[in-house]
Amino acid sequence: MPAASLNQLVLGSSPGASTTFSLILKSPDCSVRQVMSKSPAELMLERETRVTYGPVPDRLLANAVAEQNWQMSGGEFLLRAEGDYYFYYRPGVGVTVHRGDGADTSEESLWLNGSVYAAVASLNGLLPIHASAVAFNGAVFAFTGPAGAGKSTLVAALGRCGLPMFCDDTLVLDLSNPEQLQCLPGHKRLKLRPDSFELTGAAKEERVSRTYDKNYAAPPAGTVSTSLPLAELIFLDEARVPAIAQISGSERFVRMEDEHQTRYLFEAARQFSLSEHFEHRARLARQMDMWRFERPRDANKFEEGVALVAHHVVSHGSGGS
Amino acid sequence: MNALTKQRDRFAETDVDDEIVLMRLDNGEFFSMAGTAAATWRLIDGKRDRAGLVAALFETFGGDTAAMAADVDAFLDALREMGLIAID
Repeated sequence: MPAASLNQLVLGSSPGASTTFSLILKSPDCSVRQVMSKSPAELMLERETRVTYGPVPDRLLANAVAEQNWQMSGGEFLLRAEGDYYFYYRPGVGVTVHRGDGADTSEESLWLNGSVYAAVASLNGLLPIHASAVAFNGAVFAFTGPAGAGKSTLVAALGRCGLPMFCDDTLVLDLSNPEQLQCLPGHKRLKLRPDSFELTGAAKEERVSRTYDKNYAAPPAGTVSTSLPLAELIFLDEARVPAIAQISGSERFVRMEDEHQTRYLFEAARQFSLSEHFEHRARLARQMDMWRFERPRDANKFEEGVALVAHHVVSHGSGGS
Repeated sequence: MNALTKQRDRFAETDVDDEIVLMRLDNGEFFSMAGTAAATWRLIDGKRDRAGLVAALFETFGGDTAAMAADVDAFLDALREMGLIAID
C-alpha cells in the first residue's frame, strides 16, 4: 500500500434561479428591428455603474483614503486616483466622480471600467475574475493568467478563427443560480500592446491613454453581448511545447487563488467567514471546468498555439472531448 | 475500543473529483487528501477504532498489514495533532 499522504496546499487563508426577459427596441419607423435579452444581474450592474459628477467624501473609514488606494465600508466604495481625483460608489445612487484641479482624466475610463466596475460588481454579489473570453455555441471559454500572460492577444487571435470576443480582461460571473455559473457580457473594449497587433493582425484603433502603452482594437469576429453560461476557464501557462490539459482535484482550489486586484475587491466586499470562503471556493472548484493551455512565449510558435486552442474550443463547444 | 471521531466543528471539507479538500477553521490552512489518505479519512465514522480502520483498508487495498498499520498511525497522529479527529 502506498504511504498515506496529507499534502498542504499553498493557499492563504443568493440563491434563486436567474431569469431573463426580452427588451424589444423599435426603430424610428416603429418596426421591430432588434431583440435584446438582459438578465437581472446585467440590468442591475448597468444601473449601479451609471456615472455622475459631483462632490464625494474623502474617506469611508477613520482616515482619508490615500492616493492610488481605495476604501470599502457599508456597501460603499471610494477610490482615489492621483491628487484630487475620486470615484465614489453608493448603492442605489451609482458612481460619482470628483475631478479636482490637475486630475488626469485621460485614464478615467480605465478607472471606471477597472477597479470601480469590479468593486460595484463585487458589492452586488457578482464575481469578477481576471480573464478574457470568447464565445462559441452559446457558451463562454475564458482565458486567465497574470498581467502580461497574453489573454487579450489570444482572444484577438481567436477572432481571426471566427470566435467572437465575450470580454477582455475582466469576466463577471453571476452566482445567483446555484446550479450554473453565468457570465455577463464584457463592458471593456479590447486593448492590445503594439507587439500584439503584429502577432494577431488586429485593426488598431485609438491609444488607450497618454500613459498606457496600449491601443484599442476591433475584435475580428465582433463581440457577443448576451449573458451566457461558462463552459471552461483556461489558464495560460508557459511550456516548451503547446498543449492543453484538464485541471482536476485540489489544483482547482490552488488555481483560483489569483493575485489580481479583482480578488481582493471581491473578498473585501463579501466579508466572508472562513467557512463561507471555503464554500465559495468549493463551489467554483466543483462547477468550473478548468484547463491549462501551455505554450512557449515565442512568436514563431504563436499560430500553432492559437490553432490548438481554436480546435479545443470548437470541439468542446460542439459537445466533443 | 477507542472510536475515531471527526471534529466537525474544526474544519470544512468538500470532494473535488477524486480528492478531498479540507480547511482548518482555526487558521484557514488548506489540505488535500487523495488515494489512500482520502479512503482513510472517509472511513473515520465515529464507530471504527484504529484496528477497524486498518482492517477496512486491508479489505480494500490488500498488501502488507504491518506497513499499512504504520502508515495509518502516522496519518492519524497528524490529524489528531491538528485537532481534526479525536479518539473517544
